Amino acid sequence: MIDWQYSESIESADIVSLEKKYANYIGGKFVDPKSNKYLNTVSPSTEEILTKVPLSNEQDINSAVKSARSGFETWSKLSPHQRSRYLFKIARLIQERSREFAVLESLDGGKPIKESRDFDIPQVAANFFYFAGWADKLDLSWSTKSLKPYGVVGQIIPWNFPLLMLAWKIAPALATGNTVVLKPAETTPLTALLFAEICEQAGLPAGVVNIVTGDGSTGSQIVNHKDINKIAFTGSTQVGKLIQKSLAGRDVGLTLELGGKAANIVFEDAAIDQAVEGVVNGIFFNQGHVCCAGSRLLLQESIHDQFISKLEKRMQSLRVGNPLDKNTDIGAINSKEQLDKITNLVNEGIEDGGELFQTECELPGNGFWFRPSLFTNVQPSYSIAREEIFGPVLTTLTFRTPEEAVEIANNTEYGLSAGVWTEKGSKILWTADRLEAGVVWANTFNKFDPSSPFGGYKESGFGREGGRHGLLSYLKASS
Amino acid sequence: MIDIKKTYKNYVGGKYVRSESGKTYTKELKNDFYELPLTSKKDIRDAVTSSKEGFKKWSSVTPYLRMQILYRLSEMIEGNKESYVELLIDHGLTKQKANKDIDEAIQNIVWFAGLADKWEQLAGNLNPVSEEYFNISHQNPIGVVFSLSSSDISLNELLMSILPALTVGCSVISYSEENSLLALKFAEDINNSDFPSGSLNIVSGMFQNIINDVSKHVEINLISLHKELDDDGLKVIEENASESVKRIFSQPSTEGLSSILPYLETKTVWHPKGT
Repeated sequence: MIDWQYSESIESADIVSLEKKYANYIGGKFVDPKSNKYLNTVSPSTEEILTKVPLSNEQDINSAVKSARSGFETWSKLSPHQRSRYLFKIARLIQERSREFAVLESLDGGKPIKESRDFDIPQVAANFFYFAGWADKLDLSWSTKSLKPYGVVGQIIPWNFPLLMLAWKIAPALATGNTVVLKPAETTPLTALLFAEICEQAGLPAGVVNIVTGDGSTGSQIVNHKDINKIAFTGSTQVGKLIQKSLAGRDVGLTLELGGKAANIVFEDAAIDQAVEGVVNGIFFNQGHVCCAGSRLLLQESIHDQFISKLEKRMQSLRVGNPLDKNTDIGAINSKEQLDKITNLVNEGIEDGGELFQTECELPGNGFWFRPSLFTNVQPSYSIAREEIFGPVLTTLTFRTPEEAVEIANNTEYGLSAGVWTEKGSKILWTADRLEAGVVWANTFNKFDPSSPFGGYKESGFGREGGRHGLLSYLKASS
Repeated sequence: MIDIKKTYKNYVGGKYVRSESGKTYTKELKNDFYELPLTSKKDIRDAVTSSKEGFKKWSSVTPYLRMQILYRLSEMIEGNKESYVELLIDHGLTKQKANKDIDEAIQNIVWFAGLADKWEQLAGNLNPVSEEYFNISHQNPIGVVFSLSSSDISLNELLMSILPALTVGCSVISYSEENSLLALKFAEDINNSDFPSGSLNIVSGMFQNIINDVSKHVEINLISLHKELDDDGLKVIEENASESVKRIFSQPSTEGLSSILPYLETKTVWHPKGT
């Protein structure tokens, strides 16, 4: 027997040059924080401190909003064609510096280079290209001229797809004529600050894009600022509810893209091998740090044993480790805090009576890691079947009939996404019609495209991002 | 001979009911006065239960049938036009204004009836994704809508607070204060137009009494306010709504396609293409 030796293939980090400390991007300039405070940002795969970024306070937010207000004056006076051209130019610049962005994303966030290089960054450029073309066709988009931009938009984004979430927020906001103050997540601020350089390179007018780093307190300053016209937030349902509450009684627009606990339904007449592949992609993509992750596997009883055995075998082949290794399937958990949360929920699942399978693999000594995990023998009442884990943990439930599958799938406050696996077309359409979810993936999972609207039903939030429908998140009806 | 005067009741689940509280409030008009139901918390809960059932039925009728039921409503109102005009005059409107209001109301019902089987074509579309997938965005009605009607004495205004949600298949609890007599009379035409029971419930009272019950009720999916509330009122509603991420629309547009957008959830479905 040949003893195969694993040989790694590491993407060089040399393309990225980190500064000792970073500044906010306000009014077209990099400015030191008035707070004079900084946050360290660490690499979750090594726990090494990469650099530090501003912990911005009320004064910093004040100047960012002020700058966005004057940016709005400039931006509104440009012709739609000109706004369109700026967005096209930004898209091109992102493509040109895509390797640098990809490496930085994996360093700062812990995701496999395979994903940042082949998914995140290409999607970022695609989003700017897509919305660039809408900027001068807004009157055609919903057949009306009565839709107008909000003005200054505050945008708060999460750490799971740092630059992609920035693109989902900034591209449509700018295309519709708004200006923005964006705060990247506390643990993943670096690609947003690199994006500020792109804005500079593109010659974007001062104040149109403002990037301010910080933590939750910084986000709350943005939400509570008196001169903000709209807030767009992606993150947990818990924080989303707080934001909705903070905005009560104020004339401020709001869109929320919140948590999920998606059902991935596999019927007995599915193409089993494809479904196994799709289920793996559904939950282990980006370490399961995906709000639309297929975290509840719903198996028809008759195929349960066969499916689980194939799934465990497939999971065993997942490679966990250095995000910069091009062979890595599962990178580092984004932070210590998130790792603790995942660990606690998994322990709870075991105590409740769930049966846990974890793959056997060596984990690096430093950094934050979690083995790909699968729970069987789970009751719908267990917290692992109800709460968003946001990690590489899949929970299995079973059903007998399509009606029962739909009932279990919808039995959650969330309604972001769902998956359906069957070779029978009529069953796909029947099921998709009944699922309370903003995105339904049939015989596929976790597919994204700038032209495809994304967003949730129920407590997964409101408003859509992407597509023609995504424009409505940044336009308000005015008479 | 002594006149026979009509008793006005709430319209819930396809039936005319008094408030379970037994309470009423007096509405005085030029020539007459009426005792109207003062809707209570329990009445709201009953209306929501009925609206949930109503939603199941109303959202699953075909667009073709929904269009015909809405059109039938215009036929009913046309037939009762005189009595509406009389009621509006009793509220203090001139005969000319009253006639105009009813004509506009009828025209708007016909407009929305005709939209019932078209909005999906206007609000949904294929998405040109850059891989081999079929990808379509279409809409579902959001569910149970609570609508606070305008304080204007106008059948047309009342209808504009109901029709957009109803047209796309939502069930509606319409709540009126100043306009309540007209609303409760309108319920009779709803009752005669083949709407499934619970699809449209009409209740009257003092909104301030039930503001918390409505905004905290997790089975009301959306609240639309067609009347300007003081800042505190709106704040209370929006704070309560945040507990279940409930959608709130204050004075939403009632123009064209944008009138129905608040009541829709966009669902996007992907499927691979291949052999």
